[in-house]
Amino acid sequence: MKVAKKVAIILLIAFVGIQFIPTKRNQSDVVPATDIHVIYNVPKQIETIFKTSCYDCHSNNTSYPWYNKIQPVAWLLENHINEGKAELNFNEFGDYSGRRQKSKLKSIASQIRDNEMPLSSYTIIHQDAKLSEKEKELIIQWVEKTIENL
Amino acid sequence: MKKLKVTTGILAIAFVMLTTMSCKDNKKEQTIVEEQQTEVSTNVEETTHDNSDVHHDEEATHDNSDGHHDEEATQDQDSADDTTHARDIKMSTQKNAATTPIIDAYFQIKNALVTDSKENAAKGGTALLAAFSKFDMKTLTGETHKEYMEIAESAKEHAEHIVKSPIDHQREHFEVLSTDINDLIALIGTEKTLYQDFCPMASNGKGAIWLSETSEIKNPYMGSKMPTCGNMQKQIN
Repeated sequence: MKVAKKVAIILLIAFVGIQFIPTKRNQSDVVPATDIHVIYNVPKQIETIFKTSCYDCHSNNTSYPWYNKIQPVAWLLENHINEGKAELNFNEFGDYSGRRQKSKLKSIASQIRDNEMPLSSYTIIHQDAKLSEKEKELIIQWVEKTIENL
Repeated sequence: MKKLKVTTGILAIAFVMLTTMSCKDNKKEQTIVEEQQTEVSTNVEETTHDNSDVHHDEEATHDNSDGHHDEEATQDQDSADDTTHARDIKMSTQKNAATTPIIDAYFQIKNALVTDSKENAAKGGTALLAAFSKFDMKTLTGETHKEYMEIAESAKEHAEHIVKSPIDHQREHFEVLSTDINDLIALIGTEKTLYQDFCPMASNGKGAIWLSETSEIKNPYMGSKMPTCGNMQKQIN
């Protein structure tokens, strides 16, 4: 019993301790001129889907959940967001070369088609980010049309 | 005693939260991949019937874009390819040995995909990254340099994904990588003799090209399912 108590106390101290380690927040009010909806003609409906289902990890502005400041959750979120942005950043889409824009668009369609994105670990908390079959079809069609016109 | 329960309770909640956040991905991904594979195979069967049609269309657009290219190629290098169609490589390119390591690494990926080997394709991806980092671009100037950078950046990105992805993803990235390598050769040449092949069933039935070192068809998109699907479009050098 004593050992268990000690372990619990140590864990508790560690848990409190890591709360003091700062994380970088991914937030910005600016919609840059390189945003995908500025450089392409993105229908309103699709723009809304992108914003609800993708922008938390694929843009410079995350709308954080209430528990976001509790460690180690904050680290996990930071990691996911960094990885997500490195792969694709809707805010900076215009900074990619034409070649990469095309290949990013292609990947958007295939990730959605294969149900890889949005991540299931994300939609389990953000139910509204789940894509319906109709929404998926809508995005894929728009992406394919956009690629053809490039 | 009560305190202990409370603290362990809090900790337990924290860790459950943590695990739901982090561990879901992998399991889910696996099942999705399996489902997807069955989907792909049904798709494949469907498209087989349309094969000839798709192919005719492709040829038609190809001819058009060729004409277009000749007019504009000298003026505007950016108006290159559409989705399935890469820049046009001349039947005999500039003789350039500098691209050989890149092309060899690309073939390593291609041949791995022909034999359905995810591991070897990943090794090929690593080799391709190394080949690009060793490539000496000092000889390239102006527009050529700029375009090389764009191609290299894109190709490296696909190589990175090939290193870490399951095989169906590797094939998706290989498709765009093939366009990149094709365009690289069109831009700065090769000393190798190559064949440009076309698979009408790749890319969800839209069709995709690949490059090969042999005239014999060995399809990297279909692998052992349909190893000889596709046709040779042209010989280079």
